[in-house]
Amino acid sequence: MSETAVKTGMRKSTPKIPESGRMRRIIKNRAIYLMILPGFLYFLIFKYIPMSGLIIAFQEYQAYLGVTGSPWVGLKHFERLFTEPMFFTILGNTLLLFFLNLAFYFPVPIILALMLNEVRREVFKRFIQTLVYIPHFMSWVIIVSISFVMLSMDRGIINELMVMAGFDKINFLMSSDWFRPMYVMQVIWREAGWGTIIYLAAMAAIDPGLYEASRMDGASRFRQMWHITLPSIRSVIVVLLILKIGDVLELGFEHIYLLLNSMNRDVAEIFDTYVYTAGLKQGQFSFSTAVGFFKSLIGLILVMLANKLAKKAGEEGIY
Amino acid sequence: MKKKKASSILAIVTALSVLAGCGGGSSAPAATGTSNGSAAQGENKSEPVAISIMANLHTPEVPSDMIEKLLEEKTGTKLEIQWVPDGTYDEKVNASFATGTLPQVTYLKNAASLVNMRDAIRNGQFWEIGPLLDQYPNLSRLKPEVLKNTAVDGKIYALYREVPLSRQGIIYRKDWADKLGLSAPTHIDEFYNMLKQFKENDPDGNGKDDTIPLTDRNDLVYGAFKTISSWLGTPNNWGEKDGKLAPEFMFPEYMETMNFFKKLHQEGLINQDFPVTSKTDQQNLFITGKSGVYIGAMGDVSSLHPKVVEVNPDAELDVQNKIEGGPNGYGIWSVPGYGSVILFPKTAIKTEEDLNNVLTFMDQLMSPELGNLIYWGVEGTHHKLEDGKVIPSEDTKLTDREVKPYQAIQVGGPLTIEGFYEPKHMLPVKAKSEEMITENNDYLIEDPSAALDSKTFNEKGVQLQEMIKDGTYRYMLGDIDEAGFQSVVDNWLKSGGQQIIDEFNVSYSSSK
Amino acid sequence: MVQDKTISSRIFDIVNYTLLSIIGLVTILPFLHVIAGSFTTVTELAQKQFVLFPTVWSLDAYKYVFSTNTVFRSLGVSVGVTFFGTLFSMLLTCLMAYGLSRRDLDGRNFIMFMVLFTMLFSGGMIPTFLVVKEMGLIDTYAALIVPTAINAFNLIIMRNFFQNLPEGLEESAKIDGAGDWGILFRIVIPLSMPAIATISLFYAVTYWNTYMSAILYLNDAAKWPVQVILRQIVILASGLAADTSGMDEFVRPPEQTVKMAVIVIATLPILCVYPFLQKHFAKGALLGSIKG
Repeated sequence: MSETAVKTGMRKSTPKIPESGRMRRIIKNRAIYLMILPGFLYFLIFKYIPMSGLIIAFQEYQAYLGVTGSPWVGLKHFERLFTEPMFFTILGNTLLLFFLNLAFYFPVPIILALMLNEVRREVFKRFIQTLVYIPHFMSWVIIVSISFVMLSMDRGIINELMVMAGFDKINFLMSSDWFRPMYVMQVIWREAGWGTIIYLAAMAAIDPGLYEASRMDGASRFRQMWHITLPSIRSVIVVLLILKIGDVLELGFEHIYLLLNSMNRDVAEIFDTYVYTAGLKQGQFSFSTAVGFFKSLIGLILVMLANKLAKKAGEEGIY
Repeated sequence: MKKKKASSILAIVTALSVLAGCGGGSSAPAATGTSNGSAAQGENKSEPVAISIMANLHTPEVPSDMIEKLLEEKTGTKLEIQWVPDGTYDEKVNASFATGTLPQVTYLKNAASLVNMRDAIRNGQFWEIGPLLDQYPNLSRLKPEVLKNTAVDGKIYALYREVPLSRQGIIYRKDWADKLGLSAPTHIDEFYNMLKQFKENDPDGNGKDDTIPLTDRNDLVYGAFKTISSWLGTPNNWGEKDGKLAPEFMFPEYMETMNFFKKLHQEGLINQDFPVTSKTDQQNLFITGKSGVYIGAMGDVSSLHPKVVEVNPDAELDVQNKIEGGPNGYGIWSVPGYGSVILFPKTAIKTEEDLNNVLTFMDQLMSPELGNLIYWGVEGTHHKLEDGKVIPSEDTKLTDREVKPYQAIQVGGPLTIEGFYEPKHMLPVKAKSEEMITENNDYLIEDPSAALDSKTFNEKGVQLQEMIKDGTYRYMLGDIDEAGFQSVVDNWLKSGGQQIIDEFNVSYSSSK
Repeated sequence: MVQDKTISSRIFDIVNYTLLSIIGLVTILPFLHVIAGSFTTVTELAQKQFVLFPTVWSLDAYKYVFSTNTVFRSLGVSVGVTFFGTLFSMLLTCLMAYGLSRRDLDGRNFIMFMVLFTMLFSGGMIPTFLVVKEMGLIDTYAALIVPTAINAFNLIIMRNFFQNLPEGLEESAKIDGAGDWGILFRIVIPLSMPAIATISLFYAVTYWNTYMSAILYLNDAAKWPVQVILRQIVILASGLAADTSGMDEFVRPPEQTVKMAVIVIATLPILCVYPFLQKHFAKGALLGSIKG
């Protein structure tokens, strides 16, 4: 539908008298369609054409046979995934990490942005902003290796301190109990500052007059945050939340892969790490694609639900 | 109004194309210089043959083209070498393969990459070169027993880069051992005693009980585990049991190895974090004198020595290989004799004539002159010769940048290249380690599955191996007991392991 | 601005400043360690592990890194790709986002859904490679830009910002006779500077971090952006490259200090972008731009 709409918008350079209201609107908006066109073509060429590659999830793909020549196997790869003895463990781990992420990471950039927004000394604010934004640029390899140095049983600083304080050493790196807190804390450490940027941008759009008026009314700082700042960034929060939910099964492969070991696999194995050893390492692109397809499908369902809920709650949602 | 709109659209379109032009335009000179360009050049001069190569880069930077130019000059070719960072090499090979853009000479990183290509090889995507090798004086020197390990269904498709069969042994602090009156261990009990003494008797003399005798890392193969398992007589990956092949972990010696590690771990004779310790951190423990024994490639002594001495000028290092632990005396696991393998895709090499050109070039790479050139560099610049032996330049920065990367495109190696220079080791302990690596050749425990094929192994081998790895670590750390490990093995059998055993045995008996 | 001088407000400020200072310190420590590590000797780094203030200073790591022009050249490539890439992406993104922010547009929700869909489903590496190859982009810098020109996330956020602009502005502009292009470039974009700054930053950082596209689409190592060099060094120095090809013995991995120096070199330029954009995040920045 939209394709024809765009074409129509393109072709009709001299508008005729339109028959219906919709046609009239489309012609009236032809400049708008022209604006959308380059981006639309981009998505078509670089996203939708390659998407045909997804069909290898239903094939026994061999690179030399190509997508057209590889034999069809129906749902075989999906069956392999669902009958994998670890399947429910992996699903559980992935979901639990996602919820922990949502509960403990997602609010942090918002809170941090609120705190920064309350800073009046511009220099101090910019300074802290820059500091908290730096970790985003350090790769997981570096972060994980620094954590290792600090948490090691052999001479890690944290464990040395614990011993000095009279506690027993804790085996952070190889314990199922500590994996999740470690993961969430590293995510917060690396991404919280980076996450504030978008909220700060939204807060920059708030009319300062609103604050002044409420201050005249004697509203406390917390009340101002609650009644002015937060409502003003609500739609950004909602959009980010919906997008985040779509990423439910995407938790950062590299990060988890680096933290994963034989001793914490029962809680740390997620779809991405599983598919890496079970599929990619052995060149099984069909199986890997099938797992990816499954993840995407779950993501899609959740995003559609979230979008619907948001609309019910009076928000605009994404589409 | 309308005109204005039209012109603004035009402006946007121009802007877009200019931008796109900028993105691509700045690269214009070289952009056309890929295969077309070099082919055209080849025709013009009618002399140089264009050869394209993909190889993995093990150094921080792509090398300067000095050696490449020399190679071109001496072989009459126009080379185009695609360097790909080691960390993403397999991805690049897979993507190039799937899109039909592999170059004429494709290096595969290791044995595992070759296993992944087996189906494609069977399907005729690469030239079979086995029957042709006799025509090339140097290539024909490649060892048939190693070529056999790279074969698919008994046919040879690949050349290989040689690696020493077994470099395994221990590197230890001789000054510590001397101080405690210990000699080089020759039996596993002596080895254990050495660790014990290092732990208890304060070998570094700092008055603190802070020594971690053995330093190990998160690698059951290239770390300490597999080497100690060899001492105890465990087969290499697969072993024969009642005339049939069985995986190593079904042998009692494997359990014995795990028990040994469990003891080391419990008694604090090994770093507590060894299942998650990186190679860098492992070596750090040794370099900084926290730890006194390192098990791995004995050749590592040459890079460890200067660092150890810088931290502790009195430190002395020694190497040792022959440590017995089983009834059959000393044995040591070996690799199949090749590091990377070299394949010749049909998509890039169309005719037998082209194949001949490429193989001629590969043959030249194995000639004494070029074989030495790509390994040792240019005499006078990168090394000097003394009594027919090579002394590499001390300017390692220079050799790292101009020579080392080319070692990745080597064909064959010291055993197969005629007149390959031997190095003269300035460090006595390094020379000793080289002798021991040669000595190891008499005690090899070979992997009988190296040339075998199993469909299930190709599909699930890595994932199944992961189960065993988990079980092994968990047993060593006391997380599970013997029954627990047995259930891991049972699980392995159930999840496809039994099929692998059966398939390997079929393949094994047909190869006998 | 009227300053709030109540006691509770003072306490709030003190707590807030203290907390932020602590957070700032905690986040920066590891990076300080990296910087300190790059300025010390290999031995000191090995012995102390977590160095914050080197006792022995050394520039060896930087000397090593800059002894050839590889890193300089790759930085140049990265700067170029980041600059042109961000411009190109912003142009496409703003156009499309503005179009999609118009509530009177037919097919708008369909296109939005189509965009969102690409965030969830992707055809993967090889089909994309084929498209890039068919378009003749292999071995051009455009291959690092065009295939990732629009990021769906950024587009959605941008549209959300545009959508939140007061609708009256457009209406009144239309009454004044402005066309759609005029509204976008003369009213909407100037009014959205915080959003433009944010999304530009997101794109710039993405382009700066370009890695996989470079590996896949560039065969000529002279065109590698700095991330390729950085990752190569980090992976080699961290001992993550497996020993499986038996090359480990012949080739010494780069020293830890070199690794840290390269991290510093590859990170500093992009860190410098942020402070320049920060003025757009100041409170009331938007209002200022309307008045101005």
